[in-house]
Amino acid sequence: MLAYVIRRLWQFIPTLLGVVLLVFVLFNWVGGDPAYLLAGKISNPEHIENIRRQLGVDEPYYVQLGIFLKQIATGDFGASWATNEKISHIFASRLGPSLTVLVPMLVIGTLLAMIAALAVAFWRGSVTDRAIMIACTVGQSISILVYIIVLQYVLGYQLGWFPVQGWGQDLRENLFYYAALPVLVGVIVSLAPDIRLYRSFFLDEINQDYVRTARAKGMSDTRVMTVHVLRNAAIPIVTNVMIQLPALLAGAFLIERFFSIPGIGREVILAVERSDFPLIKAVTVYVAIATMIINLAADLLYKAVDPRVQLK
Amino acid sequence: MSPAALTLAAAHRPESPGLWTLAWRRFLRDRLGAGCLAIVVVFVAVALASAAGLIASDWSHETAVSYAPPNFLGGSTAPDEASPTAVRDDVSEEIDIKDPLADELAEIRKALAGRSAVETKKATLPLGADKWGRDVLLKLAKGTETSLLVGLSAALLATFLGTLFGAQAGYFGGRIDDFFNWLYSVLTSIPYLLLILAIAAVLNQKGTSTVVLILGLTGWTGIFRLVRAEYLKHKVREYVLAAGAIGASDTRRMFAHILPNVSHVVLVQLSLHVVLFIKSEVILSFLGFGVGVETVSWGSMLNEAQAELLIGKWWQLAAATAAMAVLVTAFSLFTDALRDALDPRLR
Amino acid sequence: MSKTLRRIVLGAAFIALALPLTCRAAASAKTLRVTFQAAETGFDPVKVADYYSGSVIEAIFDPLLTYDYLARPAKLVPNVAEALPVISDEGRTYTVRLRKGIRFADDPVFKGVARELIAQDYAYSIRRFLDPANRSPYAFLFEGKIAGLDELASAAKKTGKFDYDAPIAGLETPDRYTLRIRLKQTDLNFSHVLAFTLAGAVAREAIEAYGEDTGAHPVGTGAYRLKQYTRSSKIVLEANPAYRGTVWNFAPGADPRDQAIVGRMQGKRLPLIDRVEISIMEETQSRWLAFQKGQTDLEYQLWEVAPRFMTADGGLKPEFLNRGIKLDRTVDPEIIYTYFNMQERIGDQPNPVAGFSKEKIALRRAIAMAYNVNDQVRVIRKGQAIRAHYPIPPGVAGHDPRYRSSIPYDPQAASALLEKFGYRKGPDGYRSLPDGKPLVIRYSSQPTERDRQFDELMKRSLDSIGIRLEIHKDRFPELMKLENQCRLMMRTSAWIADYPDGDNFMQLMYGPNKGQSNNACYESAEFDRRYEKSRLLADGPERNRLYKEMTRIMEVDSVWIMGDSRYRNVLLQPYVVGYKKHPVLHTEWLYIDLEPAK
Repeated sequence: MLAYVIRRLWQFIPTLLGVVLLVFVLFNWVGGDPAYLLAGKISNPEHIENIRRQLGVDEPYYVQLGIFLKQIATGDFGASWATNEKISHIFASRLGPSLTVLVPMLVIGTLLAMIAALAVAFWRGSVTDRAIMIACTVGQSISILVYIIVLQYVLGYQLGWFPVQGWGQDLRENLFYYAALPVLVGVIVSLAPDIRLYRSFFLDEINQDYVRTARAKGMSDTRVMTVHVLRNAAIPIVTNVMIQLPALLAGAFLIERFFSIPGIGREVILAVERSDFPLIKAVTVYVAIATMIINLAADLLYKAVDPRVQLK
Repeated sequence: MSPAALTLAAAHRPESPGLWTLAWRRFLRDRLGAGCLAIVVVFVAVALASAAGLIASDWSHETAVSYAPPNFLGGSTAPDEASPTAVRDDVSEEIDIKDPLADELAEIRKALAGRSAVETKKATLPLGADKWGRDVLLKLAKGTETSLLVGLSAALLATFLGTLFGAQAGYFGGRIDDFFNWLYSVLTSIPYLLLILAIAAVLNQKGTSTVVLILGLTGWTGIFRLVRAEYLKHKVREYVLAAGAIGASDTRRMFAHILPNVSHVVLVQLSLHVVLFIKSEVILSFLGFGVGVETVSWGSMLNEAQAELLIGKWWQLAAATAAMAVLVTAFSLFTDALRDALDPRLR
Repeated sequence: MSKTLRRIVLGAAFIALALPLTCRAAASAKTLRVTFQAAETGFDPVKVADYYSGSVIEAIFDPLLTYDYLARPAKLVPNVAEALPVISDEGRTYTVRLRKGIRFADDPVFKGVARELIAQDYAYSIRRFLDPANRSPYAFLFEGKIAGLDELASAAKKTGKFDYDAPIAGLETPDRYTLRIRLKQTDLNFSHVLAFTLAGAVAREAIEAYGEDTGAHPVGTGAYRLKQYTRSSKIVLEANPAYRGTVWNFAPGADPRDQAIVGRMQGKRLPLIDRVEISIMEETQSRWLAFQKGQTDLEYQLWEVAPRFMTADGGLKPEFLNRGIKLDRTVDPEIIYTYFNMQERIGDQPNPVAGFSKEKIALRRAIAMAYNVNDQVRVIRKGQAIRAHYPIPPGVAGHDPRYRSSIPYDPQAASALLEKFGYRKGPDGYRSLPDGKPLVIRYSSQPTERDRQFDELMKRSLDSIGIRLEIHKDRFPELMKLENQCRLMMRTSAWIADYPDGDNFMQLMYGPNKGQSNNACYESAEFDRRYEKSRLLADGPERNRLYKEMTRIMEVDSVWIMGDSRYRNVLLQPYVVGYKKHPVLHTEWLYIDLEPAK
């Protein structure tokens, strides 16, 4: 087990190197010259050259790449080019709001989807099953953009059930007041695909031999579902949720922009708009590392729950 | 296919019906799936007709007034603002700067004097008009073409790459497998949003083909994983080993022998990705990397309509959302039916 | 498992029930809530270029001069100076005397000692603009103007260290409260630079103590100080207890509303608002709904939704009037224009729109005549802009409201003009160059929804005269780079007044500014000669005459397609009083008041 973990950690290195190289090439090649952005309304070649020297983008590529690698090793990505804010501070201050929305969203969404999926899997093939599945498909087919616009307008503005946007200082206020509508939107958007996915996980389990055995020895259907099927299907569900997390951190930008939540996703869009390379580098590296660690954790979880799984 | 046709086919080919025939029969038994296929076919027909220039070729004509409402709402009686009257020189000041084109322009003005008035514009349209007065119905038809084209081409590209890489990795294993797995983990470790923004910036050239490339180049990873797993399973099967024994080349074994046996997986993935990419195009449009200005897609319509909703012009948003919902739903249910038909154990 | 599940469900239900109980803490009295539609970048005056950072800097720092709140056109008045500068030596020496006893806001860097504002602080603050390490976007305000300062900057580029202590002839402080600035050449507009938002005084101790992080620790003498700061999300300002406490004292102008404002505000001690809360909201829907819900007090960034609250004749719709909402409507001192690149070659390609031969002028003229600027105003701006005829917008010295562009919107005549000069239509309906080579116009814009509307308008306009258009999309930094190298063919650009003087706009076409602000890369001896003459003149009929001639020269050469200037429709909640949009000041927070709720 330990040997496996060490080997997997060892494998992080080539992957991370690949990520670093790809990001470096992509953004150096096409990221736009930040000097022109920072130079302001009126600039002359002298200014541009001065700014380039200050940022270090006039150094040869191998030097810049070396600096990048050193930054990863030390975890210190310096300061944002656009605002001079420390990158570590950007992460520290934006992670909280992101998680305040994402965690309740994932927990509530997953629980609701599991309940619904278990129910439709139990009555698989029935009219209810088909109706819910079709409803999910329809729900899934509408763009998230439309969900956000319409729900913010109707629930926030017209009905006044939620604040239309905003963010405060206090965690309780954020969680129960400001995050409520964004979480609701997130749950609604994720519910349809999750139900479909989890239903397939449950069906996979239901078709297993041990379920047939349990039934054969006279166990009630309800008990089979809640004890055997639910427990076993929970593993792929939980790992699926875990694996989503890093991508969601950067990917929830639509919700963050519309509801004015100071999260990571909004910062990423801003960084790309401003060619803020230090921040882009840091986000990519951190998300890549998080993704790899979570994947490893998911594999270990599988192994812990199901000893038959071969780790190699 | 009618039973008569089937018997005919059976008479022609004495062996038992193959995988595909059986799947087709199972598929037709699923009435919902068949109905959805019909809807998809209608959309494809609209897209083809639009591509061939039979319909919606004049989508960019401004036939109505700005934001003309749908017919059933009735047009506003107030006419559109007076069409812009040309502003004539009326600088009273005696600025002594000579225009080199003064003579030509004077001639032209004389020749054009007394020209006809501007064309009249409609007050309403079946599904209303956008801000320039273009027919939303025609835009919808044109958008169907673009969005389907984007979805299908990107899905084909992603499936092609995923299958090709997956086959290589699964079949050969070893170094090749390591390489593709490395590529896979690199691409999946980078935040998707950043990857899309970076590739969009690399490709730069704005237009439909860019959208296809962005989606195709970033979207093959899921297919790769599945196909690789299938190849791992199949390459040790007897039929493949037998093919190897009679001297079939690696390429032949990979694509002539194994591929047909995993093609149902590929087909279902293709179909899933069409839906996924049609939806992704909307987000790309939001980020500013959508299709160019010479055409229109559902994504560009939704994005445009987002601000219109706030000023009460909801029809473009509603039309684009509805069209997309119907196609995507039909396509998804069709995919479900397809999967069930190809892999009956899942029922 | 099921038990746990039940517990979780119950817990969730409880949370849902508890929701209404958690209401917001009541906001303290006199809190003004506003929004920015884009993120700020920081509050170090020499390090920012964006409007929103400038707004906060304006509230925290004090320039020597400022503008009269009510007078239109904008009128300079002393701020921390005792009087307007004494200008001598034919406009080459500016002498300003500071008022005594003005203090910086308390800050740990002062170690509990009251820190007085002195002339040396302004000398230091001006030097900072030229320090290469600060890479100031607004260095151009002082660059090449102050005797001895540029030499310091070039020395710093060699040594890597800017010498703040070296005496220079251009910036002297004969005594503690006197600042004497010597310019290299006559500049009658330099007072505007001294009133510029970013020209406020910083304290050297604070700048040196906070080092790289000056953007988050502004220490000034202004009416507000930074209380709480969550970057690109929330900025809270509070009244500065050490503020010198100015008194609201302005004379009413010609505007009928001025009387009411004066009656209400005259003699009040400033600031009246204790706290300013700024939220950054990127999406229009969020800003609009937030204002509608009473979550913000003042909102103007609502261009896309203007038809919801504006009537066709520029008033507020009755449903909003009935709610007591007020509207303040002015034209922004800005100009939106589309330029043609006037350089003969773009990179190694010939530039089809450049040149001064009749056929080239005809091509540019025809495009300008085909561009439907009325639709730009009517559709893209939703009626919330005025068509621009003159390069200097309203509210800026030198603007001529009677001037009319000599280039009418007339696509039919434009087509005829192209025919006349041999731009023939091919079988595909698109024209080629007179020599038979294909003609493609390349128009550059950013990948945003707003720019897409301009793309669409340009496409429709050029289609109407049979000219093929290619849209070039790139991100902003890349466009800036290409533009500075004169490598874009056409782009729609905007210029917002830095100070309310026509020179700030006319310099956009001055030949030697090519590669800097002259983005058309236009070089005309006739234009430049007049511009150089105008620089030596103060605002007045003589300079206005030159401006008119220059405008006509530019029109005849067809360098710019004139676009529009947007209306600023400021919506105010009923309890906001004393508001009048100032054409130059970024915000009016200092001069307005909030009535207590009834």
